[in-house]
Formats: sequence, C-alpha cells, structure tokens
Amino acid sequence: MASNLFKLTVNDYLEGLPEATQSKLYQSPATCLAIFRLLPNLAKFYIMTMIFNEKPVRLLDLDTWVKPQKRAEQVEGIRSIKSLHILKDNGEVAVLNPKFRENLKNVLTGVDIGVSFGAPCETEDSNKVDISFLDTYASNKWETILHFMVGTELNEFPSKGVLHLLRHSGLMTGGTPKAMVITNEGFQFLLQDVNAQIWTLLLQYLRMAESLQMDPVDVLNFIFMLGSLELGKDYSTSVLSETQLNLLRDLKDYGLIYQRKDSSKRFYPTRLATTLTSDATTLKSASTAMSQVIKSATTTTTTSSNKGNTSGSQESSSTAVSAASSTIENAGSIIIETNFKLYAYTNSPLQIAILNLFVHLKSRFANLVTGQITRESVRKALLNGITAEQMIAYLETHAHPQLRKTAEEVYQKKIQYDANTNEKFHLIQPNITDQIKLWQLELDRILTWDGYLFTDFSNEEEYQVLQSYAEEIGVMLWCDHNKRKFFVTKEGNAQVIAYANRKLRKGK
Amino acid sequence: MTRAIKGALVECDASIRALIVRIDSERHDVVIQELDETHLLIDSNKVDFVKAELNRLLSKNTYNPLDDEEIQP
Repeated sequence: MASNLFKLTVNDYLEGLPEATQSKLYQSPATCLAIFRLLPNLAKFYIMTMIFNEKPVRLLDLDTWVKPQKRAEQVEGIRSIKSLHILKDNGEVAVLNPKFRENLKNVLTGVDIGVSFGAPCETEDSNKVDISFLDTYASNKWETILHFMVGTELNEFPSKGVLHLLRHSGLMTGGTPKAMVITNEGFQFLLQDVNAQIWTLLLQYLRMAESLQMDPVDVLNFIFMLGSLELGKDYSTSVLSETQLNLLRDLKDYGLIYQRKDSSKRFYPTRLATTLTSDATTLKSASTAMSQVIKSATTTTTTSSNKGNTSGSQESSSTAVSAASSTIENAGSIIIETNFKLYAYTNSPLQIAILNLFVHLKSRFANLVTGQITRESVRKALLNGITAEQMIAYLETHAHPQLRKTAEEVYQKKIQYDANTNEKFHLIQPNITDQIKLWQLELDRILTWDGYLFTDFSNEEEYQVLQSYAEEIGVMLWCDHNKRKFFVTKEGNAQVIAYANRKLRKGK
Repeated sequence: MTRAIKGALVECDASIRALIVRIDSERHDVVIQELDETHLLIDSNKVDFVKAELNRLLSKNTYNPLDDEEIQP
C-alpha cells in the first residue's frame, strides 16, 4: 500500500470510485467545478465544447477537434473523463453526464448553486482575522507536522488524530509520540511538494473514513467545497452535515481550517485549503518556495530534456530561462559545487532538516547553511530508503537561479559549438549526479543466493540430465559445462534431488 | 559420486571477487569453491560477515574530505 502511496493522486482515487458514488458526487455543483479543475486540459476542452450543446456529439467529431500529433493527450483526456463517467458513449455518439453538465453549467452561469460553495456568515465576526494571520497559522500547523516527522525537538506534539493518521498511512511507526520514528515512505513523503503532501494525507483520511462508516461523498464534497472557498472570509458551520462537522474538527489539526474556539459557529479556510484544487501556490514559506520550484523545474527540465538534441532545444532553453527567472524571488536556494560542497540560502529549519538527511552540514549562518555531500552522508540517506534519484531531484528542484543560469549558459555554448550534440542539459554537474548514483550502486556490490552446488558428476550424461532439468524448472542460477557444476536455489534443491533419485536409480 | 554442497552463490565483479578471496586468505573458512571470474561459493552463514568486511575495505579506499579538515587546527 505504502509504496504506491504517492503515485496515487486524487484523480486516480476519483476514477477508482464506483459509478454510483461518482454520480452522487456530481449532485454538488462545487464538486463538479473542483473535479473539472483537476482534469487534464484536453478533457476540460471537451467538456467546455459539449456543455452548451444539447445534442450528443459524434465520436468521430471528437477526433477532428484535436491535431493528430496530440493524439496521446487526447486519448488520456478522454480516458480520464470516461472513467469518471462524465463522458458516456454508445460507440457512435457521446454525451456528458446530465447531472454533471447541468451543475457545471449552473456554476459557470452562476444560477442555482445553493450552499454547496459554503455559506458565508451573515454577521460580522467580532474577532475577525486577516489573511496574514491565517497564513502564519496554517504554516505553523503544517510545519509542526513536518517537523515532528523529521524529529525536531518540539514543545507540543501534533494532535492524536494526526499521529494516528501518520501511523495508519505508514509514514511513521511507533507507539507513543516520543517513540515514533519516520519510515522510508515518510522520507519520500517529505520530498513531495505541499499540495501533494496534503492530498496524500487526505486520501489516507478518506480510506480511514470509509472504514469508520463515514460517507466518502460527504467527505469529498466538503474537501472540494473548501477548495472553492475564499481566503480571508468566514463561513458558517450551520449548513454542514454531522460527518462534515467531524471532518472540520480533524482538518483544524492540519491547518486547513481556522476556528477561534471549538464551539465557534464560524470557520475560516486557510490557504492550504483554498488551493487544494488549483495550481495557485500555497503558503509563502520555505515549503511553498519548494513546491513552486518543483513545479517550474519539472516543467522546464522536461521541456529541455524532451527536445534535447533537436534544433528546438534553443527555444526550449530560453523558455526554461524565463520560467526560471520568474521564480527567482522565492525560488531555490541551493548551490552545489563540483567538489561536492553545498551552500543553501535558507533559514527554514525544515529545509535544513531535509538537507540534513543526505548532506553533511557544517556551519549555519543567519541565512545560509553550508555542508558537504560525502559518501557517508549519502549512504546514510540510502540506508534510510531515500533513492539517489530523489536526492538529485531535490537538488535540481531547489537549485539556486545562479546555478541554473550558469548551467544554461554552458549548455547554450555546447549547442552553438555543435548543433547536433547528443549532450543532455545538466542542471547539476554530471560528476555529482553520477557519483551519487555510483554510491547507490556500491551498496549492492554483491548478489548472493542461498542454495546448493551440484558437483563431482561421474559422467557427462548424468550432468546433462540434471542440469537441463534444473534449468527447465527455473531453479538453476549458475552452471559451468566444462567443470560439470551447477548451482540451484534452496527452494529448487529438493526437486532436483528427487528427480535425480528417480532418474539415476532407475538407470542402475 | 555426485555431491550437493550447501552454500551461498555470490555474483560480483572481478575486483570484488578478489577482495573476497583476500578476506578468505586470512581465515580460510569463507570461500568453499571458486567457480569462475564472477562467481564464488561461500559459506552461507558468512554472507553478512563478508558484506561487512567488504564495506570496511571499500571505505578504506574512498577519500573522505572531512578527515582532512579534522586534522587541520
């Protein structure tokens, strides 16, 4: 379960729901909008084209709307809305799910959406809070959880519900809060961006909720409603169901929601909640900068590596530069030199803690930590279950703009020198990335299997019979025809011996 | 007479094989048979010991930049 924890996105979860549950979800306009926002672009395009069209659309027409070279994206888009049962076809014509269509139409035109987008409070809050307060509140809550996971000394532990969920999702193990330790999955969790982290926990929560007989439709509706609320406004709890009130209490622990008192009749969504279904960036904090950079870096690196050695690479590199420069203000902070020395311009204890997972940190200044990547530090991380790829990805996504700029310049020069170069774009110096990968390989320099070596055969025929039998049943790992020796696994040994007794005794 | 010898098959590159043979040369209770360039038959109870020894020997050959600094005043 835990290994595919992060691959499973909310879309996959929704697609995996039974059709009946999905139809129930489409009863809520806010949910329709949220699901729409989560869809791939081409799927959005199809829905938009069909939404005001009363008649069914011929399947062949769907193809003509998309350029042939984008076929892969089209297939993906159609697949996703089909498995969500938003698009239905009978082999010839396609229609949208009527409920979904009606509700999304209502949302877009702003009629008859009821309270599914939350009920704003009628009266003024005497203890009104502003957006910056909410931001601080949310990042405090969320980072407390992350800090707890990396084992920072804390004055207070996260709430019981949070601890339970961390344990349930396999991110941490251990009985008492003090004894809880992070698992390999937990390490990988830390390397995700904030939005993915929240969704990971929410999906775990949903699974737990199902076993607690909570209605997933209720839970999802509430989560999606949160995604469409306005930051800085207060909403009334009066329209929420019993399940949703429970959920509200739990979500406070994650910093998604602020309530002054537990008994309060109003609640404020925080930025963590309102950005659940959007691309907009979450908190202005180190972890946000992290997620922002991850997003921009993944798009830029994919464009430059995809086009790689074609003439289009110059164009893509320039977009990469502009994308990189747009994130300069709050972007990456890590400079790594070819001598494995690392400088990180950060004062976020969390980022430092994450770096500490695989870097030997040496000194800390007001806005800078310095360290060194050593064999030992990387091995420690590898033994903790962090892969070389993850470390490299972390370095790449948090690379300092200056580092990126230099790498771009070097790459540009190479292209100018030889336009057909096969060289790929390296953000991090190849000697660093290669070495980290080598250290990973070094961990398993030898492969061993327990088993038996069959040797001292008296004649060629005996050897042939047994060796070919062992090979046939797939238990032979090694053989040497000249020396008449072969090695079988522990599991296969009994079979081979039984066969030998049958065959060879009979011959005598 | 045909025999089946219990043990652990080790697959590794030639340099590591040489190291394992060297480990064995001091105590003679590790390697049971040398099979070929990249394979050895060793005592299955000694697998963890061999891995630990290899780690120790290989770390000796790596440059640790931190050691240098500790020598400096």
